[in-house]
Amino acid sequence: MKARVEHVEHTADLAFRVFAGSLGELFATTAQAMFQQLADTTAVATTAQRHVAVEAPDRASLLVEWLNELLYLHEIHGEVYTAYAFDELTDQALRATVSGGKPKQVYTIIKGATYHNLSVRQAPEGLVATIVFDV
Amino acid sequence: MVNKKDMERVEEYCWEIPKSYRSDMRVPARIYADDALLEAALQDRSVEQLINTACLPGVVKYVLAMPDIHQGYGPPIGGVAAMNVEDGVISPGAVGYDINCGVRLLRSNLEATQIKPLMDELMDALYNSVPSGVGRGGDVHLSGRDMDNVLEKGVPWLVSRGYGRAEDATYCEEQGALAGARASAVSPKAKKRGSDQLGTLGAGNHFVEIGEVVEVFDEQAAQRFGVFMGQMVLWIHSGSRGLGHQVCTDYVRALQSAVSKYGIRLPDRELVCAPVDSPEGRDYVAAMACAANYAWGNRQLLMHRAREVMEQVLAPRFGSVGLRLVYDIAHNIAKMEEFTIDGRTVKVVVHRKGATRSFGPGNRALPSEYRDIGQPVLVPGDMGTASYLLVGTTEAAVKSFSSTCHGAGRVMSRHAATRKMHGREVQQQLQEQGIVVRGPWKGLAEEAPYAYKDIDRVVNVVHEAGLARKVARMVPLGVMKG
Repeated sequence: MKARVEHVEHTADLAFRVFAGSLGELFATTAQAMFQQLADTTAVATTAQRHVAVEAPDRASLLVEWLNELLYLHEIHGEVYTAYAFDELTDQALRATVSGGKPKQVYTIIKGATYHNLSVRQAPEGLVATIVFDV
Repeated sequence: MVNKKDMERVEEYCWEIPKSYRSDMRVPARIYADDALLEAALQDRSVEQLINTACLPGVVKYVLAMPDIHQGYGPPIGGVAAMNVEDGVISPGAVGYDINCGVRLLRSNLEATQIKPLMDELMDALYNSVPSGVGRGGDVHLSGRDMDNVLEKGVPWLVSRGYGRAEDATYCEEQGALAGARASAVSPKAKKRGSDQLGTLGAGNHFVEIGEVVEVFDEQAAQRFGVFMGQMVLWIHSGSRGLGHQVCTDYVRALQSAVSKYGIRLPDRELVCAPVDSPEGRDYVAAMACAANYAWGNRQLLMHRAREVMEQVLAPRFGSVGLRLVYDIAHNIAKMEEFTIDGRTVKVVVHRKGATRSFGPGNRALPSEYRDIGQPVLVPGDMGTASYLLVGTTEAAVKSFSSTCHGAGRVMSRHAATRKMHGREVQQQLQEQGIVVRGPWKGLAEEAPYAYKDIDRVVNVVHEAGLARKVARMVPLGVMKG
């Protein structure tokens, strides 16, 4: 399955449906889509590498943990991350090195990735996730 | 999907979905709306989200939606749910990520006609001096101990450090410091996020606005609140910034396990909760109070800076500007309050997510000079539209756990709003109406007036339903967005 992101209409917040061929691709594609809403991610010079380690009881919760950790790093460092190298990615644990830098422009604030309508499920050619962010 | 046939009209502006509508509902769900606003509410999932909140353990009487209801994540925005503190739950999702997002209103000695010729200068001064926008830190950097002081002592502590006047705390809900705050309940991550954000506006629908009073409905209340026809006023809308967002994230995560520990079944994971009277519930109450105090502190610093700047521009020309706080309200918060239910006094935790407290006359929580009139209720509209000052009622205590609306409520997604018009065009349209605008273009399109409900209509419903009574209507002269 070719990775792609669909915007789901939501009156107040931001919602995606993400399609990917593997768990790693799903997590990377969702993160990328989130950062593209946050900031101008074109031509971001790679000036930083950050390590992320999160755990959760299931892969949908893990997705939320991953995204919220990235939002935390974004806010305290002022960076967006455009490359993701997973050292470990199971349904319950993730360790990764993310690379990125300061964007030219930050568009908005995303307060958090929520559990509302959250799902990560198997699809005929891969995985589909739905996720809602509080903007 | 719910539709009108599933509802009973219990009053002219109140509709009820009985608890028999769905087997997991513990109480009915009520919506305050006129026919058009009800139709709008039925277009997204907001009513279904309201019904979900009626399933939470310990919920009493009914859950409510205000006429500015729209879809959120978990409960709807504009939702009110009260749980018995003895056997009920507290839910971080039913408070929201922006804990104590709220508004304050300042009055002045000046007429709007005096300052209209100076609007460009005033708005430039505010935009250049009040920290706003994404990624912009504030001028106040909090050390560990200072952070804990803000979290536990809120506005009074900041005033003691020279940020404002002694009277400011008097005109905030909870005197600007919610009791029960415990800094140790807030994670190091949340404190790190908040360490350089105190006194910053943020982005999205947060704003600083100079307005003019254009209509007075209740002369007695207006006089008591210090408001008069043609007056220049100042609105400030902001919240708990990254600290509050992280507190919500932390506790929504932490309480996922509490749900199974206490045998709670949820229709939506974002409604995760714990018994109020449990270690997890008590920790969240303590952390939420800290975030609330941070937000009051944030609005206090924003006001302090805005007052300084406006005095610098206006005082040389007009002498005393007299910018004084009318009131500060929270519209995303959970409060411990008492209500009479079936003839008994019951202590409940009232969750207001996009809803405003509306205490009537006689309530001892109010400042002494407002006590016989009622609480000022502040309802900001969208930029470019009117805002309202109302007064709380005793009727609201019976009907809505002393709650009323918080704003206009969205009708259009941010995505759709930016596709409809470019921010530059929105700015131009507002300027053609005589409103001076400062802010990034993307934000302007998302927050354009066409993305929101009609504020006059929303306020009319709460006025006619007795949830709050109109005192004055104000229009914007200048708006600054982050």
